[in-house]
Amino acid sequence: MEQRSITAEFAKGIVRDNPVFVQVLGMCPTLAVTTSVINGVGMGLATTFVLVFSALFASLLTRIVPNQVRIPVYAVVIATFVTIADLVLKAYFPPLSASLGPYVPLIVVNCIIMGRVEAFATRNRPGVSIVDALGMGAGFTLSLMVLGAIREILGSGSLFGVGLLGTSFTPLVVMILPPGAFLTLGILMAIFNALKAKSDPVLIRT
Amino acid sequence: MKQMIIVLTGVMVFSGLALAAAYSGLSERIEENRIAALNASLAAIFDVDPDAADGPSFDLVDGSDPLMYRGKDTDGTVLGYAIRLQAQGYGGAISMLVGLDADAERIIGISFVEQVETPGLGGRITEEVFRSQFRGLDADRALELVRNVPPDPDRNEVQAITGATITSIAIVGRINERLGDAVELIERQER
Repeated sequence: MEQRSITAEFAKGIVRDNPVFVQVLGMCPTLAVTTSVINGVGMGLATTFVLVFSALFASLLTRIVPNQVRIPVYAVVIATFVTIADLVLKAYFPPLSASLGPYVPLIVVNCIIMGRVEAFATRNRPGVSIVDALGMGAGFTLSLMVLGAIREILGSGSLFGVGLLGTSFTPLVVMILPPGAFLTLGILMAIFNALKAKSDPVLIRT
Repeated sequence: MKQMIIVLTGVMVFSGLALAAAYSGLSERIEENRIAALNASLAAIFDVDPDAADGPSFDLVDGSDPLMYRGKDTDGTVLGYAIRLQAQGYGGAISMLVGLDADAERIIGISFVEQVETPGLGGRITEEVFRSQFRGLDADRALELVRNVPPDPDRNEVQAITGATITSIAIVGRINERLGDAVELIERQER
């Protein structure tokens, strides 16, 4: 296997293989919870937690798990950590837990997690798998933060719940509704691709 | 085959143990949070500091339907009642408390324990602008919901939130449905 530096493994999750803008995975939480920055951060960190532990266990277990029961085993591992994350949020961050609502348990079906487990963790050593998971988690968290920030500023006129634009600003309600999520995501994805095309033209031209 | 059974069993046992440990470690705190959230809502209704040591006490009125809490200050004087109501909003169930004064004549406040309405639209029911409209309205007649015009408290009016008509109707409708029963219950209690 090609040897790459730890930093490169981590950084690829943020730009080159960004889970939201490049891999287009995990769209359900991306679109649903990014009505505010804090929701985006909460969802991103909870997902990162699950990603890291699932990757670690998948990487450790990969040699002893028979191929036929691979998916059920990883699904159980993922579900376990999601439930723990949900309980921790309920116990220590009740307001965040309330505003994320059902989307925390739904991390179970976030395809970023199964995707990284299948595509990376089962084929790599635990250490590298954790770095990969942290990178993907960071990329996911940052993407959700950017989306959340844009939608919160335009849709509620605030950032981190603090009023920014004063009372003269009429919030664009559409931005915190589902269409706002699609619009913001589409525009951000276009910008992301344009920037990528500029720095690495070969990758984009097909 | 044998390996499959061993691995599956092992993973399930690990998962069960991890969840049991997490739950037993955290359930107490989760329950405390739930009670704290309820107490904060009750305190908001009676306009008192929830953390004050000599604050009022809230106790559940036995067998009340709708569920009702009686708020008393330190001398045992009844401050009022808080009725717990559940409305079906736009995003899901809205759990709210409606405060009545000791004589069940006026609404003294409203607060929301749990709600999952759209942030920025229905979610604005938790803002003071919306909640303050209920303060001082008559408890013995129906509330009227008005749209786009300033509410007239003398006519028991509440202004709906723009863009959140379903949420506003759900809340006012539920209060109108159950407030009569609550008032009757309080009047019977007082006798």
